[in-house]
Amino acid sequence: MAGRISSGLPMHVMADLAPTIPRARRGLTAPAGLPQVAPAAVFILLLFNVPLLLMLSWSIDPGDNPFKYYAALAQGSVYMKVLGNTIYIALLTTFACCMLGYPLAYWMWSLRARSQILVLALVVLTFWISILVRTYSWIVILGNDGIVNRSLRSLGVTETSVAFLYNQFGVIVGTTNVLLPFLVLPLFAAMLKLDRRLLQAAESMGASQARIFFRIFLPLTFPALAAGSILVFILTLGFFITPAILGGGRVPMIANMLDLLINRMPRWENAAAISTVLLVLTLLFYAAYQWVEKKSRI
Amino acid sequence: MENPSSLTRWLITVVGVSILLFLCLPIAIVIPMSFSSADTLAFPPPSLSLRWYRSFFEDPRWLEAARTSLFVALASSTLAVLFGSAAAYGLVRGTFGGRRILEANFLAPIIVPQVITALALYMYLAKFGLLGTFGGLILGHTILGLPYVVLLMSVAIRSFDVRIEQAALSLGASWQEMFRRVLIPNLMPSLLAAWIFAFIISFDEVIVTIFLSGAHETIPKKMFNELVLRVNPTITAIATLLIGFTIITMGLAAWLAKRGSVSAIRGLDH
Repeated sequence: MAGRISSGLPMHVMADLAPTIPRARRGLTAPAGLPQVAPAAVFILLLFNVPLLLMLSWSIDPGDNPFKYYAALAQGSVYMKVLGNTIYIALLTTFACCMLGYPLAYWMWSLRARSQILVLALVVLTFWISILVRTYSWIVILGNDGIVNRSLRSLGVTETSVAFLYNQFGVIVGTTNVLLPFLVLPLFAAMLKLDRRLLQAAESMGASQARIFFRIFLPLTFPALAAGSILVFILTLGFFITPAILGGGRVPMIANMLDLLINRMPRWENAAAISTVLLVLTLLFYAAYQWVEKKSRI
Repeated sequence: MENPSSLTRWLITVVGVSILLFLCLPIAIVIPMSFSSADTLAFPPPSLSLRWYRSFFEDPRWLEAARTSLFVALASSTLAVLFGSAAAYGLVRGTFGGRRILEANFLAPIIVPQVITALALYMYLAKFGLLGTFGGLILGHTILGLPYVVLLMSVAIRSFDVRIEQAALSLGASWQEMFRRVLIPNLMPSLLAAWIFAFIISFDEVIVTIFLSGAHETIPKKMFNELVLRVNPTITAIATLLIGFTIITMGLAAWLAKRGSVSAIRGLDH
């Protein structure tokens, strides 16, 4: 390949040459980095920052009472109910992800190298498969005529179908399924980084397996678990697709209400005010996430 | 921890496998369902047939949606790679102030809930009459792919030895020549991987598409609308096609990313 480095110059010679590059020559890349960053910076400014700021400005009324849309949110019981419901579902989903994610990551950690790669590949794969596909499958599994209900009926456990879908339960199952990798992958990475000699030391001193787990393993991986939980919580707050499909319109969450306010009712100002609340919540929790994540790395 | 009792180990295995099943079963179950001959979603399928694949490939609306998806994904991922990889270079090699803030700004679309990005773009594009146009949709998707390109390319550029660039420059290459003949060829595997990532992100995107696309339908948007209304077994066939497509492209991206990091390291001893 013509472009590849094949000058035959030993690396250390190149390294020695580097400082001798004339200032003017280096000047070709100067002001360093700015020309390369500029197009993307302008692009994101015009198509992300400005639209976001404009939307936030919609939530402020130019009249006497600039915060009247926020006041409407606080007074409108529907809005508060949806907000409360969203936070409730986000908490339950986060809890479910922890209860499933920690054992899964632990099991992955305890596997031999080859099976570890295989399981890791499966988890990463699910992460990349369309959310729609993953959500859709739950209709097949949990629907009235789905696999679970058919099995229950043929086993004689129930006469009629159990309503697993189009309620809170369905939404939480679907959301947990989609978001689980967001918790498992960083948690597993944190476990891999854990110094196994600590565990061996404890063992050689006669600590029981349970004691080693609860006194060493769990405390050392807890920050990663906390960071992953916050991430899952944030993602659930803004979740749209799974609640819309598995909630069947009966489990309203913030994102779905925004869709309604924009695409059906046109009430842009209210939508803008709700978005601001959601954005502030998200950024607050993201700041918490970064703080915890930083701690978990030490 | 190295030698847990066999009972504990057995228990951990059972729990681990069950959770893995919970994670993977939804994907695995769609595939046999898509070959079912039944009108309803019954598992296991009573007999096999390709009728749902036929109903996809013979429906002009699904094919049109597939064309739109491909076109938008190609255009937006290409834009994201052009903007994003240049930006990553500037961020990694740059010396200007405020790089961290700029980097955070590039990554912000990952953190801001997509529904908010979608809503802001909806109101913004409506002002310029770009709502419901291909252009608006492509720009929206580019915003979502850009952070991933910046992330991936930053890693790749950071692991590419800057001294190789300096050597080329010191041996008389102009900056453009160095870029074209040294940097790009060496970063090619990572560039392709980033391009595939951005492509998949656009191809799977639903929320921004629902808000911005107007009358245009992409595969995920049409899937979403059908799923909210009723259960249509054609979707099992589409889902299976999407699973296959994702496995192939992600496998390719992973292979390229690995090659990229290897060639970047190899650059050291050549």
